[in-house]
Amino acid sequence: MSISRRRLLRNTAAFGALAGAGFPHIWIKNADLAHAAGGEIKVGVLFSLTGTTAIIEESLNKATLLAIEEINAAGGIKGSKIVPVVEDPASDPATFSEKARKLVVGDKCVSVFGSYTSASRKAVLPVFERQNNLYWYPTLYEGRECSKNVIYTGAVPNQQQDEFVPWLIKKFGKKFYLIGSNYIYPKEENNYCKKLLEKYGGEVVAEEYVPLGHSEFSSVINKIRSTQPNVIFSTVVGDSVVALHRQYRAAGLDPEKMPMASLTTSENEVAAMGGEAAAGHFTSAPYFMVHKSPENQKFVEAYKKRWGADKVTHFVSEACYFQAYLFKQAVEKLATSDLTPPNIRDAVKGQETIAPQGKVRLEPENLHTWLWPKIAQAKSNGQFEILVEAKEWLKPVPYAAYPGQSCTEKGLVEKS
Amino acid sequence: MSSNVSTSNGLQRLTAQLAPLLIVCAVVFALPVLLNNDFLLNKVARYLVLGILTISLGLSWGFGGILNLGQAMSFGLGSYAMAMALKLKTIPVHTGASGLPDFMVWNNVQQLPWFWVPFRSLPFAIAAGMIVPALVAAALGWFMFRGRVTGVYVSIITLATMVVINLVIIDQQSYTGGFNGITDLAQLEIFGVAFDAYGRATYYLVAGCVLLSLLVAFAFTRSRAGLIVQAIRDHESRVRYFGYDVALYQIFVFALSAAIAGLAGMLYTVVMEFASPTFLGVQLSLSVVVWCAVGGRQSLVGAFLGAVLVAGMQGALSESAAFLETWTLVMGALFVLVVLFLPKGLAGLAQVIWRWIVQRRHASGSVAQGVGQTEGST
Repeated sequence: MSISRRRLLRNTAAFGALAGAGFPHIWIKNADLAHAAGGEIKVGVLFSLTGTTAIIEESLNKATLLAIEEINAAGGIKGSKIVPVVEDPASDPATFSEKARKLVVGDKCVSVFGSYTSASRKAVLPVFERQNNLYWYPTLYEGRECSKNVIYTGAVPNQQQDEFVPWLIKKFGKKFYLIGSNYIYPKEENNYCKKLLEKYGGEVVAEEYVPLGHSEFSSVINKIRSTQPNVIFSTVVGDSVVALHRQYRAAGLDPEKMPMASLTTSENEVAAMGGEAAAGHFTSAPYFMVHKSPENQKFVEAYKKRWGADKVTHFVSEACYFQAYLFKQAVEKLATSDLTPPNIRDAVKGQETIAPQGKVRLEPENLHTWLWPKIAQAKSNGQFEILVEAKEWLKPVPYAAYPGQSCTEKGLVEKS
Repeated sequence: MSSNVSTSNGLQRLTAQLAPLLIVCAVVFALPVLLNNDFLLNKVARYLVLGILTISLGLSWGFGGILNLGQAMSFGLGSYAMAMALKLKTIPVHTGASGLPDFMVWNNVQQLPWFWVPFRSLPFAIAAGMIVPALVAAALGWFMFRGRVTGVYVSIITLATMVVINLVIIDQQSYTGGFNGITDLAQLEIFGVAFDAYGRATYYLVAGCVLLSLLVAFAFTRSRAGLIVQAIRDHESRVRYFGYDVALYQIFVFALSAAIAGLAGMLYTVVMEFASPTFLGVQLSLSVVVWCAVGGRQSLVGAFLGAVLVAGMQGALSESAAFLETWTLVMGALFVLVVLFLPKGLAGLAQVIWRWIVQRRHASGSVAQGVGQTEGST
């Protein structure tokens, strides 16, 4: 297992000579470094800095680095510094997988913070499960996953919809138009939405999926006109969010009568489409930038100071920020010699921290996070106004749409 | 001695042509001895697979003159064939053994679709991984080359076909896993040997396929059909006037190239442990063209090395702290330089250097010979 440094050097040199000058940096440094050697704790930071999802993922990279810098500035973890190893997976699942391997096997990181899309998480999952490492995933997602090697700090469908759907029915009416991008996330969210609609007496007037990156919504808008729903329940993602909002506005539809209710539109998307196009529509999420709390004030100020006054924070970057603190708390509980990913996982179970959104807790059963659902309306200044705040934090139920199944510490269990 | 020259010349040229191929393969096979690190082996294995893919493009582009911008289509089909077989070997979390793959359960599919059923057999899947891309390519080639479509139109059609198949895969998520691809796969096992992505067995499997692909492609380029294909590349109508069925030869090289790309795709699934629609994406497909151009499209070994070196460099640059922000720029600049100053790629450069060495040797050799002759005459 451990190879002597000299031998490694010799092999490296020999291969380097063979490969010519083409590989300046491929050779991992510190191949035989222990997980926390020399007062350093290495963690991977795996968000795309180039490619199609770079805009949003860059903000996740920044929030993660901010938290790590803060922790280090405050003395690190029991005197050890967290050393972030930043990689650019270029919005490509195969590159995600390659970089994850590099971070886990090559750099021997004890944890990796990363991914925005489910596709990239699924691509790196085999790496983390085989190497028994830990992946910290900050994004809201469709649930229905029960991995021992992922810490999920974003919302699952029950945490975004349990309060939202009945509120929408009460406020606007029971006719829902479901529109989403064509992949697993919107389909699963809609599966759960349909369950709630059934429960509260709502109905689906149409369910439609557009290709990812779709930007031509005129036929959708015509259909909306003809079906006259009370609520347009949107799970379109990425650039499509911007196109849908702009074309909705251009078509002269009125958010007061027929608002879009989104699970994916954050301050980040609003900044991209312009406040005017977003104004009047609703989003449900555990965090908004305008949320009033001392922790959030500190987060927003620090973020702007570090990365620029025009930058926004949003519900995924907030999770990036607090999950680094959860990581810190877990590592604090461990002796330096016990610093392995499985031990960190066991230590993080049940950990609580006061996040910008409120006090969050990592559920020991399914490694998802207790969060504070909120409902907010977008304003033309690019910010949201929070209309409803949950009175209690909400337990994550990743299999909420499937009552027969539940995720436990032993893995997925079928209830009879 | 001079009488021997003409007969031994052919053999000599053959060895001269085979030498770089064999040297490269020897290095590939020797690597695990030098490189005692499973993670690096896995990484190199990935680059080697991309190398095989680039060999396949070199065959159709460099030798057949058919610039296939959709080469990744064959690659992706191969990759999915392998992923389907390996997926069916896993024990699904949600439905237990002999149940449906997880993503089908998520999409409320009740029964294994008919086109998935034969993939329960691994030999079938492996055969399909090469034959399906070859058949698709042959069918596409049939329409294109019978219709005498040439040049840029071939590129557009191949690119468009790939995009269509890519969209279909993303759209039909209940049968293909959609945007997320097919993940959570079992390990490939052949004759009791388990091919762990990080294991040496997988590396040698890939290395063996590199050798095989290079030899098959090399043999083809030296065969009669291969020569005709090259003649078609250089002057299509002249070959047609000689009475050859031009389209038939083009279809053949196109399908052979697709089969090799399919093989690479299957290996990619084994090395990466998943299949994704990005494996038949425009980005990868165009990257292959760039690798091929950088390495030298008229040299199989050149194309192979082009992919390995450029993909390796890309990985290395993007991993170094100094280039984290600018690595795309650096790569772009390199490509521009190669295209401007080395139109035949690195293989062209190697050839020039080799010729220069031989000429110098030859020059000094002939002087020595001349001296010897004058000595003899005296």
